[in-house]
Amino acid sequence: MTALATLPPAQFKSELKPIWCPGCGDYGVVQAIYRALSAIGRPPHEIAFISGIGCSSRIPGYTTAYGFNTVHGRALPIAQGLKLANPDLLVLVAGGDGDGFSIGGGHVPHAIRRNLDLTYIVMDNQVYGLTKGQLSPTSPKGLKTVTSAYGSLESPINPLLQVLSCGAGFVAQSTPADMPGLAAVIEEAIRYPGFSFVNVQSPCVTFGEEDQQVKAHKGRMQSLASKGHDPADYLKALELATHYGVELYTGVFYRNPNPPATYDAQVRERQAELQKTAVPRERILEMFQKG
Amino acid sequence: MATQGINFQNLSLKDALDLAVLIEEEARDRYLELAEQLETHHTPEAAVFFRKMVRVEEIHRSQLDKRRHELFGDMPMTVTRAMIFDIEAPEYDEARADMSVQAALQASMRSEKKAHDFFARALPEVRDEAVKALFSELRDEELEHQRWVQLELDRAPGEPNPAFDDSDEPVAL
Amino acid sequence: MRDIVIGMAGSGGDGIVSAGESLIAAAASLGFHAMMTKSFGPQIRGGESSCRVRLSTRELHSSGGALGVAIALNWEDFLKFGSELRCDDATVVIYEAKTGVLPEHIPLGNIKPREIMAVPLAELTKQSAGTEKAKNSLVLGLLSGWLGLSQDTLRKGIQRRYGKKGEEIVNGNLRAFEAGRQYADAHPSQTPLRLDAPAAATTKILTDGNDITAAAAIFAGCQFFGGYPITPSSEVMQFLGKEIWKYGGAVLQAEDEIAGIGTAVGASFGGKKAMTATSGPGMSLKTEILGLATIAELPLVVVNVQRGGPSTGLPTKPEQSDLYQACFSAHGDVLRPVLAPTSVADSFHCTVDAFNIAERYQTPVIILSDQEIAQRKETCDPIDTSKLVVEDRKRPTPEQLEKYTRFAASPDGISPISHPGMKGGAYLAAGIEHTESGAPSASGAVHARMNDKRFNKLLPLESWSGAVTVAGDAGADLALIAWGSIGGVALEVLDLAQAEGLRLKVLVPRLLYPVPKEVYRSFLRNVNSGLVVEQSHQGQLYKILRMELDLPKGLVSYCRSGANPIQPSEVLAKLKALSADARRSLS
Ligand SMILES: Cc1ncc(C[n+]2csc(CCOP(=O)(O)OP(=O)(O)O)c2C)c(N)n1
Ligand code: SF4
Ligand SMILES: [Mg+2]
Repeated sequence: MTALATLPPAQFKSELKPIWCPGCGDYGVVQAIYRALSAIGRPPHEIAFISGIGCSSRIPGYTTAYGFNTVHGRALPIAQGLKLANPDLLVLVAGGDGDGFSIGGGHVPHAIRRNLDLTYIVMDNQVYGLTKGQLSPTSPKGLKTVTSAYGSLESPINPLLQVLSCGAGFVAQSTPADMPGLAAVIEEAIRYPGFSFVNVQSPCVTFGEEDQQVKAHKGRMQSLASKGHDPADYLKALELATHYGVELYTGVFYRNPNPPATYDAQVRERQAELQKTAVPRERILEMFQKG
Repeated sequence: MATQGINFQNLSLKDALDLAVLIEEEARDRYLELAEQLETHHTPEAAVFFRKMVRVEEIHRSQLDKRRHELFGDMPMTVTRAMIFDIEAPEYDEARADMSVQAALQASMRSEKKAHDFFARALPEVRDEAVKALFSELRDEELEHQRWVQLELDRAPGEPNPAFDDSDEPVAL
Repeated sequence: MRDIVIGMAGSGGDGIVSAGESLIAAAASLGFHAMMTKSFGPQIRGGESSCRVRLSTRELHSSGGALGVAIALNWEDFLKFGSELRCDDATVVIYEAKTGVLPEHIPLGNIKPREIMAVPLAELTKQSAGTEKAKNSLVLGLLSGWLGLSQDTLRKGIQRRYGKKGEEIVNGNLRAFEAGRQYADAHPSQTPLRLDAPAAATTKILTDGNDITAAAAIFAGCQFFGGYPITPSSEVMQFLGKEIWKYGGAVLQAEDEIAGIGTAVGASFGGKKAMTATSGPGMSLKTEILGLATIAELPLVVVNVQRGGPSTGLPTKPEQSDLYQACFSAHGDVLRPVLAPTSVADSFHCTVDAFNIAERYQTPVIILSDQEIAQRKETCDPIDTSKLVVEDRKRPTPEQLEKYTRFAASPDGISPISHPGMKGGAYLAAGIEHTESGAPSASGAVHARMNDKRFNKLLPLESWSGAVTVAGDAGADLALIAWGSIGGVALEVLDLAQAEGLRLKVLVPRLLYPVPKEVYRSFLRNVNSGLVVEQSHQGQLYKILRMELDLPKGLVSYCRSGANPIQPSEVLAKLKALSADARRSLS
């Protein structure tokens, strides 16, 4: 049997009491994160948890890690700056579907192409929770919400396909209906050396649809492992991702078998190389000297 | 309800007892979370019931823990919470703002049934006689708990007519 | 001659700006004080270009007024620069004879220049270098002759500039230079143009506001820059992109300005000094995250190199119209220090000050530079950095980390700040209002308390000794207030006024916001009249001062939209008129 975790999950739980609606899927997500962090074993002060704004973005405050609850849609840039300032940190980024794929959507492809060693967890409830049930970029077409009284006219974004097509090295999906699976993919995502993405279908009990609740998920979810999917198979991963919104696949869609060097690792290399050529800071102006 | 990395066939009595302790601990912690959620969301009656369950599960846990220590002293534990998920603990999504005591009891009933099923399903795999005896005992206890919850359910006030619900709209932030 | 302004214009291919670069580099190494501004047409390549080089034996504060020497490689291009290459009756005009324009017909309207010389520039170049391309070296030869600038230094400059291109090019350019020189000797100007020797021929630094700002950031310990390219600020990022790695730092070119400031805020949260730089349109995008840095009390330096606005406005021209934005663009009650450098050298000090203020008070600080200072090349005396203090944020002691409270109340409102990786220091930073411990709160009492904390901690700034530069006659009742690059114009006005015996005092604020009220009050105590001069349509500083202070009635605004240089002479005339009015109304 496995060795005892030196840091039990409870070590990662803060004193702050969540104010999510009872029954919200995000309660499960935070528990899964406690478990994953316990398995990883880094102490809380070496972990920084950055989020945007939304119900889901409250999550850092419920952990004992350093947290930064930033502004709507901007968690990824702030996390990247932090990671470059201190590459030794374990940096988690989290937020909602609106935070990540609507207002912050412009940052996603760039975070992926830069490939810093970050783990981005989106709690995808297909709705705007915090602002009371408006249409989200992942809401199914035709959904009636307070901002789409007669049904939405636009098609949803497919976060899995988008992130895969941008070249993310690790892409997974899960749901709090499968707690062990959820904790496991989050742990695996953290262990992946590079940008990793976990789409959590995290039900909104207050504004979400019936078929998006935990009970419904339990009936619908299918693990990719049980379907015999090989996470090294990129093309198959793309194909499976096209079923987003129809099928609820859980587990790892894609894990790059040959992870390229991360941005932060390359920054370190460059710093080490160029530091040899530095003139002392106090003499920086000498380069402008004439004559 | 799930387990990870447990081999029931060669489970020792020490590990079995430790697992039982952890199962009660998990249930206790979950009830505490649900109680806190409901306290934060002005659902006091159901919260009171969940608090009661916290105490009940803690009593079970400490009884089992005592037995474990009588038999095995401070021998290190080799099973962890990561190996079990929601065995006797109610599911995360069982709580609802404004839920009735009835609904809370029903949630509890579902988890007692889950726990019973867990031991019932594990038993055929178990080889060790002492572990078998322990698991049968625990399975039967879960039946006992179910009867207790049923009694509470019978005594509980009926579900209020949902048509009376006139709660304020959820708040936008 | 002690002071001269040379203005040149041609098409981009003439390399007239590179002639200016060579001229100022030589002047700097000879110990002259010098300043150079460039201006271009809207084309990326193949447009018209111009430069102004001012050389002096005394310290300079502005790029000067009307040209002493005007060089037009062709008139069409020259005229496009209108007010930037203003000529008057003291100007010596030199132009390409090939244009076929007769000296009495040069297209300068009513202006009757002091001297006009049509020089066969193209022809002389072709004859000497074998190609017209070396025209800029010929121009240098001419100037070397007429101004009496060391041939050796200019020749060395040519060798350095073209060395990489091979001997043929170097020699061609040297021959063109020689031809120019000989032409000048054979055709001496009627007007005396020879420059006096510089008083103390000390070695000078030669650089522009953007580069020195970036160098100052490194000196101040900046280790992260996140930004998005925008004219006229991009050079800050470009300089740091070459240098910052050497100091263990990093530069990230973000996908937009929001991400640029976002990454910088992240790095600051990570415990490192961080900066971003932009111009108007980018500044507008950064507003929300600036507020985040204020409420999360994170040090951050944001450079806004102002250009003409609103919107895309005038991307390559200076204006001082972002002051309201710098001070006030925020939702919520925000007090955000705003600094403005008054020269290239001051950009160094201003940037160091900005980092110190940001770190000391845990706040974002805005540096409001402008296109003029940012892209103007200027000589400065070497800066003795050993005299400068570099501050770091107050970090928690081991005892404080035992029971850490991120926003703990303290007499000065400044709480020790931890960063991820620091054991015992974990806290939740947030844009949402929070208690001392960092826990989110919507309590009015907490909000009021925290607003007090965030405002009170900045109070000492109002009496900061570096907040303003004051010069002139302390007892004068006539005052001049100007900021940024126009602050330099004000100091020139003071020189002119003193030469004419006009009693004047000048205040140039470096700290624009919060307004250092006591400093202004004591400066204005015996003032009857004066001007607040600004390069903007609204006169934003004047209005802010009126909001915060009781100004003397006779102190009025004098302002004009960007890209229309404000000349020292016109300000002086205005001041004289004001002073005469005031005297009349008194008597
Ligand atoms: C710039 C800005 N625009 C709008 C908002 C209001 N707002 C807060 S959260 C949110 C959307 C929340 O939806 P999502 O990101 O899916 O998170 P959830 O609440 O569903 O977890 C919006 C629109 C804001 N805070 N900032
Ligand atoms: S509104 Fe929805 S997403 Fe937000 S806390 Fe409630 S259940 Fe969760
Ligand atoms: Mg959502």
